[in-house]
Amino acid sequence: MNKRQTAVQMDKNLNRREFIKTTAATTAGVATIASGITLTTYANVASENPVTNEKRWGMLIDTNKLTETDIDDMIDACQEEQGWGSEILSTGDQKSGWIKKIKVKDTATDRISNLALMCQHCEEPPCVDVCPTNASMKREDGIVLVDKHLCIGCRYCMMACPYDARSFVHEELTDQREHMPRGKGTVESCTMCVHKVDKGEQPACVEAVDSDAVIFGDLYDSNSKINQTLKKIQSAQIRADLNLNTAVRYSGI
Amino acid sequence: MNRWLMVLFSLMTTTVFAHTDSDSHANLGDRATELKEAGESKNIHPDLTEIRIMHPDFMMHKRDKTLRQGVRTKRNSLKACVNCHSSTDKNDEYIPINQQGQFCSTCHQKVGTSLDCFSCHRSTPKEDL
Amino acid sequence: MSIIRYEQTQGKSLGFYALIAGLGAFILAALGAVYFMEHNGHHVTGMSNRIVWGLPHVFALFLIVAASGALNIASIASVFNKKVYKPLSRLSGLVALALLAGGLMVLVLDLGRPDRLIIAMTEYNFNSIFAWNIILYNGFFVIIGVYLWMMFERRMNKYSRTIGIAAFTWRLILTTGTGSIFGFLVARQAYDAVIMAPMFVIMSFAFGLAFFILVLMASYKWTARPLGNAIVNRLSNLLGVFVAAVMYFVTVYHLGNLYLAENSGVENFILVDGGIYTKLFWYGQIILGGLVPLALLYSPATKGNRTMLGLASALIILGGIVQLYIIIIGGQAYPMELFPGKEILEGYVGIAAYTPTLPELMLGLGGIAVAVIAITYLVKFLPFLPESLADDVVDPHHKK
Repeated sequence: MNKRQTAVQMDKNLNRREFIKTTAATTAGVATIASGITLTTYANVASENPVTNEKRWGMLIDTNKLTETDIDDMIDACQEEQGWGSEILSTGDQKSGWIKKIKVKDTATDRISNLALMCQHCEEPPCVDVCPTNASMKREDGIVLVDKHLCIGCRYCMMACPYDARSFVHEELTDQREHMPRGKGTVESCTMCVHKVDKGEQPACVEAVDSDAVIFGDLYDSNSKINQTLKKIQSAQIRADLNLNTAVRYSGI
Repeated sequence: MNRWLMVLFSLMTTTVFAHTDSDSHANLGDRATELKEAGESKNIHPDLTEIRIMHPDFMMHKRDKTLRQGVRTKRNSLKACVNCHSSTDKNDEYIPINQQGQFCSTCHQKVGTSLDCFSCHRSTPKEDL
Repeated sequence: MSIIRYEQTQGKSLGFYALIAGLGAFILAALGAVYFMEHNGHHVTGMSNRIVWGLPHVFALFLIVAASGALNIASIASVFNKKVYKPLSRLSGLVALALLAGGLMVLVLDLGRPDRLIIAMTEYNFNSIFAWNIILYNGFFVIIGVYLWMMFERRMNKYSRTIGIAAFTWRLILTTGTGSIFGFLVARQAYDAVIMAPMFVIMSFAFGLAFFILVLMASYKWTARPLGNAIVNRLSNLLGVFVAAVMYFVTVYHLGNLYLAENSGVENFILVDGGIYTKLFWYGQIILGGLVPLALLYSPATKGNRTMLGLASALIILGGIVQLYIIIIGGQAYPMELFPGKEILEGYVGIAAYTPTLPELMLGLGGIAVAVIAITYLVKFLPFLPESLADDVVDPHHKK
């Protein structure tokens, strides 16, 4: 039980829901101790139950392990899975970009790091705050989405997003992916492959990387690999100064 | 204002009811026709009048559950509608379901209601990945 | 004070029809532009994922800001009890309504899905300053409508002061809300400043009054009604004060930003090496939109000259549009600070490019045309304009 309690203590760094977490961990604790590290407890069925805030999906990207090829693979996998990037008429910055390869140089040391930047799935998403029609929304499990049924294309969320994560569809589209409706005049962004996650799978970009440079899982679950790794290593949030508590974390930058 | 809404509403429902007189539909779609001939359509849509009148509400309810709560069951999902009610052309290629003469557009044109699903949603059954 | 008689304009002259036809052409062009943009999608515009708000938003926000400012004349009369301005109250309310209608038209028609406007009216996210603005705009229409009724209907005149105070308060909140659309955007260096809200209020005073003066002088000239210097010179002085106040706020805004090291980049961009934006700032906003109008309004050589007052007003409007261009487009063009202390080499680099296209410009100008055509028509059908604004009518103590 001691071990459990320290784990629970450390959880506080990850989320602000210590109370729920502590009670949940102490009741469910004994059962999970024996099983040791389970990657993620996936149920491989379409759920009839709404997602809850007992989970918070997140991602950890280790820029020391992540190669440039990995990032290209991630982008390709995302395009293939979600069907963006085939816009013909849009030019330059008008093209959609759900996930981007970013190369940064430290101005003091000249150290160069590469990373993949996508929607950071903030706990306090500015896009959701500013959306006039509730189209920008956050699921209970922390995934930030655009409800395109309600999106009127005002693009205020794109003004508000600190990560340049959102794209506006500038042209008419056909042949969308069955699971990923996209259309002219609405805003879109990384969905953390919510259609796969709901089936118990991992996001396409995570699957595209062979190494453990990208880890996906439940941030709250102290048995998940992402939770355990985040406890061990130094990690950072992009624009941590904004206090948005992002679900995508980076190490090595 | 309210009176006009009532008039509009009754006009709309009478048009829908006018359609419910017969069980036939100009273009049911490939899979749906098969199912109907096999006598299985009653298992999917037990009450034709209900589905004809209520499908927007069913789908609206379902869309919010799926998108906002992650409930991904098949019942009333747009994917399932498209899968059964799409037709193929001579070359065995699917015709978009919102095209002239296809399942969705036939009715929607007749009753003069807009059909906005397919400005974003895929209008043919699942692609071959 | 003598009794003010209001009268409709004739609206039968060739000039009237020429004006309507000209404005109508602009509106048709704007509708054509909208059809073109909405049919093809926004790829035919200069806007992109980096510059998400473009020229239409510049015009829309200018018109909305000016709208609340145009109401000032009525407020001065009813709230601050300055009787001289009383005869102008009706026109003030009308100009405010017309400008807001024009601005909202532009804003709505640039949406990605303007056909879903009903959603914006039925689904509200009360955390969104944008949603609040929708309520504030709709409320503005209602309040001004009631205000005009109180002023038109003799029995209701006694309530016009109360409604006037409500309208004044409402418009202050409205412009604060409009400024806050930008002021609350923490992500962008150029915006995240509380001073945005009061700055927008002061901007509205100047832009709205400039527009109002142009409308007033043009309508009195074209209908050959007397318009005395007593009122015009007061408006002119007031305009000068407002323009100076805008320049003061702009100075404070930029000084405040310069003081914060994190914002020195964007300040450098606007003030020193931002290419087109720097040129627009110094030549357009500061010199043409600020210093020249001030000189025209106050220098002994041009003071009191109607043509010069008109020129100054036009320059203030132009400078205002330029100012909003710099705030809206310049503020987006400068990249967000994603990684403080690091330089981005790839993926999100540099200043975003933006070249406005003709349809965007036509949509924006269409908004102005809608405002002007609404004013032109309504002064024909309802008695908005006093028959005379000659000095002895406006101010009985006036010495000939």
